[in-house]
Amino acid sequence: MPEHQSYNLLLVVLSYVISVLGSFTALQLAVVIPLAQNGRQRTAAVLAAGAAMGVGAIWAMHFIAMLACDMGMPVTYDVTLTALSAVLAFGACSLGLAIASSGTFAWSKLVLAGICMGLGVTGMHYLGMAAVMMGAFISYNMNLVVASLAIAVVASIVALWLAFNLRGPLQMIGSALVMGVAVCGMHYTGMAAVSIDDNGGQLPANYANGMRGDNLGLSIFVVALLLLVVVLVLNHLRQRRRAMISI
Amino acid sequence: MIELEMQILSDRREGLLVELGRVVVANGFTLLRQRLSQDSRGTWLVMIVRGAAERQLALEEELATHSRVLSFEVALAEGGTLPAQPAPVATRPSMAAAPSAPSAAAPEAGPDVRQVESTLPQLARDYPKIFPWLLTLERAVAADAREASLQLAGRRTGAWVYKRDYAMGAKLGLPDAIKRIAVPAMRELTTVDWRDGQLHIQNSPICSPGSHSGCRFFSGYLEGVLGGSVAPQTVFVRSLYCRSTGAGSCILEISH
Repeated sequence: MPEHQSYNLLLVVLSYVISVLGSFTALQLAVVIPLAQNGRQRTAAVLAAGAAMGVGAIWAMHFIAMLACDMGMPVTYDVTLTALSAVLAFGACSLGLAIASSGTFAWSKLVLAGICMGLGVTGMHYLGMAAVMMGAFISYNMNLVVASLAIAVVASIVALWLAFNLRGPLQMIGSALVMGVAVCGMHYTGMAAVSIDDNGGQLPANYANGMRGDNLGLSIFVVALLLLVVVLVLNHLRQRRRAMISI
Repeated sequence: MIELEMQILSDRREGLLVELGRVVVANGFTLLRQRLSQDSRGTWLVMIVRGAAERQLALEEELATHSRVLSFEVALAEGGTLPAQPAPVATRPSMAAAPSAPSAAAPEAGPDVRQVESTLPQLARDYPKIFPWLLTLERAVAADAREASLQLAGRRTGAWVYKRDYAMGAKLGLPDAIKRIAVPAMRELTTVDWRDGQLHIQNSPICSPGSHSGCRFFSGYLEGVLGGSVAPQTVFVRSLYCRSTGAGSCILEISH
């Protein structure tokens, strides 16, 4: 861990929990994409899964992890870039899940989907880091940046393989746990790449207009709450449908 | 030519008639009448169709395993009039599409549909402990309808298990579908082993030495459970050896 960063361990654990919860919700939504009866249903399922993955598993995890990180000075976040980072994660994850769920399972599709998801996770992180406003310069160790991208891509491929190729409990739980590793592994490796250099205490021009940590906490709480509701409703609907299927 | 009355339950009304009507036409049947109604369980579609008797099984199989279909029941149409309201599947026994009494088997050794239809709810209720019901079915049908009836019961059970437990996830190629779906599904029923491209069933209770072979049930079951995943390809299962004829274990070969 770089000297200028210290972490609140409870929030670090929570960041993994939210990424697993978001991944679980997203993959539960994603595994039914192949069952869609028409284009509209398929698009709706892809977008719902992409939103849960992009905003729930990745974006919310990133900002809980940022709240866990004490960089030794006050920080605010540029609202536009923060919102864009959520849109990027949502778009990349939707694309990845659409590819992984199309037609018959194939490795070529899985790898392409994993690259999309990995780029989504990584792109969201570094765009989210670009939103950080504080009285210092941020620079990166490029080897670790590449490593963070590789972790995100490889773990995304594994998570998608588990989700779409397997059946049963390992499909349901294993894929979410691995996707949590993809998101957190990428994030904390990316944070290890960060160097903070003194700029003489000069704050960015719109520092005062940036979003503060307590605002972020509220946004993340809403995201987590929505994810829990989706999981519960989904579970209830699936149990009902399963009971209705007659021989 | 025969006329069949089909009662289908689906969870959604939109596009149901169009999708299932395509299946009817693709199998060479003509849709004579239809009715859609709604109740607390979902949307009921009743269709009266006419077509060649030899295509009946293919049509039934395709409809019974269709992803929109939650429940499927077929009967010979009587007078071509639609019933006022479809009754729940479990309480409304079907008319036989083939003769049902053990002494009057179907002409081309087809399945005894009535016996199979009346056994299916028991199989669903007691699944996976279904072997006593299969032995009962085996005894209840005529000798030359036995194998086809077991196969039909297997297909319907397999398709039901697929929709219930294995439908979520990507469509898989046959080798992956066997590993991820067929073998775990079979293991719920009995002890099996997949090796050298063949499925070995140890101590099948419906294939005891000296008795009849129950491998046709497993063949149908595998076709049903794999059919949904590898569609539109068709799965074929062939029994190579059976315990009932003195082999150490039953061995099935799966192909498409």
